[in-house]
Amino acid sequence: MSAEPTAKTTPPPVVQVRDMDFCYGDSKALFDINLKVKYHRVTALIGPSGCGKSTLLRCINRMNDRVPSARVTKGEVLVKGKNIHDADVDLTQLRKQVGMVFQKSNPFPKSIYENVAYGLRIHGEKNKSVLDEAVERSLTHAALWEELKDRLQANALALSGGQQQRLCIARAIATVPDVLLMDEPCSALDPISTLKIEELMHQLAHEFTVVIVTHNMQQAVRVSDYTAFLHLGKLVEFAPTEELFTNPREKLTEAYLRGTFS
Amino acid sequence: MNSPTTPSRPPLRSVLLRSRKRTILGVDPQKLIKYFFGSNASVAIIVLVLIMVFLLREGIDFLPTYQRELQTYRRAGLEFCDIIDQPLQRNQALSSSLRQAVSASLETLSKTARDWRDAAFLLKRQVEDKTARPRESLTQALEKTPPAPEQIEVFRRELGEASAAAAKALDYPAVFGTAEREQLQREFAALTPEVTDLPPLLQTLAAEFSAKDREARTKFASLVQAQEEFEEATEPLQEVVDELKAKALETKEKAVEFDVLETNRLRLLEAAATETDAKEKASLTKEAAESVSEAVNLEKSIQEITGRTAELREQVEKYAVVIEKAAAVLPQDAGTGAARALVNEVREGIPAHAREMRAAAATLEGWRWDKPVSIFSVIGAFFFGTQWITNSSWQDFFGFVPLLSGSLVIAAIAILIATPVSVVAAIYTNQFASEREKEMIKPVIEFIQAIPSVVLGFIGISLVGNLIKDVSEWSWLQWVPGFPIQERLNMFNAGCLLAFMAVPTMFSLSEDALNNVPRAYIDASDALGATKLQTVFRVIVPAGISGILSAILLGLGRVVGETMVVLLVAGNRIAIPDFSAGPGVIFHPAHTLTGIIAQELGEVSRGSSHWQALFMVGIVLFAISLLVNWCARAVARRFEPHKA
Repeated sequence: MSAEPTAKTTPPPVVQVRDMDFCYGDSKALFDINLKVKYHRVTALIGPSGCGKSTLLRCINRMNDRVPSARVTKGEVLVKGKNIHDADVDLTQLRKQVGMVFQKSNPFPKSIYENVAYGLRIHGEKNKSVLDEAVERSLTHAALWEELKDRLQANALALSGGQQQRLCIARAIATVPDVLLMDEPCSALDPISTLKIEELMHQLAHEFTVVIVTHNMQQAVRVSDYTAFLHLGKLVEFAPTEELFTNPREKLTEAYLRGTFS
Repeated sequence: MNSPTTPSRPPLRSVLLRSRKRTILGVDPQKLIKYFFGSNASVAIIVLVLIMVFLLREGIDFLPTYQRELQTYRRAGLEFCDIIDQPLQRNQALSSSLRQAVSASLETLSKTARDWRDAAFLLKRQVEDKTARPRESLTQALEKTPPAPEQIEVFRRELGEASAAAAKALDYPAVFGTAEREQLQREFAALTPEVTDLPPLLQTLAAEFSAKDREARTKFASLVQAQEEFEEATEPLQEVVDELKAKALETKEKAVEFDVLETNRLRLLEAAATETDAKEKASLTKEAAESVSEAVNLEKSIQEITGRTAELREQVEKYAVVIEKAAAVLPQDAGTGAARALVNEVREGIPAHAREMRAAAATLEGWRWDKPVSIFSVIGAFFFGTQWITNSSWQDFFGFVPLLSGSLVIAAIAILIATPVSVVAAIYTNQFASEREKEMIKPVIEFIQAIPSVVLGFIGISLVGNLIKDVSEWSWLQWVPGFPIQERLNMFNAGCLLAFMAVPTMFSLSEDALNNVPRAYIDASDALGATKLQTVFRVIVPAGISGILSAILLGLGRVVGETMVVLLVAGNRIAIPDFSAGPGVIFHPAHTLTGIIAQELGEVSRGSSHWQALFMVGIVLFAISLLVNWCARAVARRFEPHKA
């Protein structure tokens, strides 16, 4: 069922999912998932709608905890070797370690500055110069600094859609997470903004480990180093992107890539 | 584009549609339905416009009416008298303070003796009350002619027994020693209707008190004398003022009467002019001719008043000199600390009062009876007038400030109480409560709205008023300004109940506002590792703040417009609350814009200036409500970026 990538890795996987089953109430959403996310690489999760790719993504920072009946019923999720469901794991710290960007850009109705500084503030940072420095660094990483440095106090909702999404990326990386989860970050954007974000992802991979959910296979090809293909809650194939797209090992993967079903 | 070769046949679709089309009275039913719905929607607008028109029609005449009244007030000389009479009112406040100081001082010496005397007299009264029936029988028997000695004897014995029993059963206070108690009991038992003299011990007690009182009066002679002098000082001046006031009032009444007759005559003449029947016309004209009355010579009568300006000024000057002298000889010492404070207050108050009187007297010369009253000064007299006096034998004043200040203070109290309660409840219900709690809290709070306000008024009178009064008498709460309170029905009480009434509105709307905060904000905050509290206070509440503010404003609109509760509970004293009492002012009674309309509109004659003044109040109230609601909408628009 699952496929281990062939390449040997020197740094240990940042995120490792082992034999995980996941349920919403009585209905099982994910079956026996095994996945290793490589350090400072972009990993894409693809698959037809409802295959569980977003659910899998949300397992990594336990966003599913907020759904009352949702739970992991078997297996474990490790982030930097630590089981995130252990009793001594602080959810606040975990989410600081694992940042997330959502499908629809969702900046807070605050100033640009406050949006980026939010993550640091809630983790208790009060020092103005630390905040200033983090805001500049994050906005620079998100390729927004040059555009916005003169109007940091403007309301974030006044920005264009693409800028808002990049601001959300800046907000997510301000706390310097180890992993950045992106849930279809370009699905609501125009082609030019999409292009900018895709360029940005290459840059981000130098600093962060990125996991991206996308329904756009071309995007997966463009941005990712590894690709996992899910179908009906099962991980069908996980391989380096080039290999998966040019020479899929599973029949199901091939059929999906050809567009036999979607 | 149709090519010319194809035969022109209408497309199938339009044929089908046309075949179904029917008309009602020549109008397409679709349109009829549209008009029906549209007209229902516009009913609300039409009614609103009608309300405004009627309010304005009744109320707008108030200004010219009030202008005429104020003109009469001036021309008849009432204003002239008030120049002196108004500041003279201060004299009463000062002498009341002095009287209090005197009695407090005297009590330091005479209180014990007086308490003894009062206690003994109270006991005597109790015995007399208990033996009222045999006493009455005996009195009747004694008055009967011819007297029946046996009957008298029987009644006398009965009275004696009853008195002895009553005297024995009395609860003697501890101030009386054993010997005194026995003597009192004996004296009470021997009470008969024939003897009008007091029993010996009571006489002694009364004499003791008189002695003590005399002693106290000697000791504080200078204070007592100063108080008497101060009170007497006003008499000659008051006499002159009263004479002038009587004259002015007489003139005013004549002028008003003339006005009424004149209006009547003109109306009759007008009717006669349009009347076609000759007989009717003649009778109307005749009636009009009879209605003629003599115009009042205002100038002549005003000269009788202003002619005495010099005398009045002289009296004021004399008065000022006398009271200043009285202030100078006011003793430094008084019996108690409170009395000393009162005396000092009076000593400081007198020079200011004297200055005020002199200043008032100086303006008498500049006063002109024929100076016209401008419409602006009438507007000022309404909106900034500090007196709302109606049905007065002297002069009615319609000043808006006492009502407005009462309404505003009550609304402020209500909002200050209701805002934290409802907003915090909304945050809890929306963010922290479990589904079961939500199912319980929301209907319960919304049910408050269903309580009739008159029922809440009852609760305010019977429960909250007593509760506040009792709590205000707790000794460890005496640091609270205004405690212990005097009145059970006051602005704080009304404010509490109005807060209770405003909570459902503010709670529901705040809860909606929090509910409307996009889920995505919460997702983002959670994903950054924020705790629930951080998400609530840094993201949800700031994002919903416009809705919360607009909820508070709509609550304010509800509070300002509420009538029944304030009418029943606010105490209805038509005066500007005494803000010099500091925060304790909230425990004073007041009247409100809504309450005054509800209370007085039923009793005034239609079309009178009072009636019109109440409509003016209604107009202002309407304007305030519109303004508050408009602000609520503006706020909701202004700070709602995620809905833009």
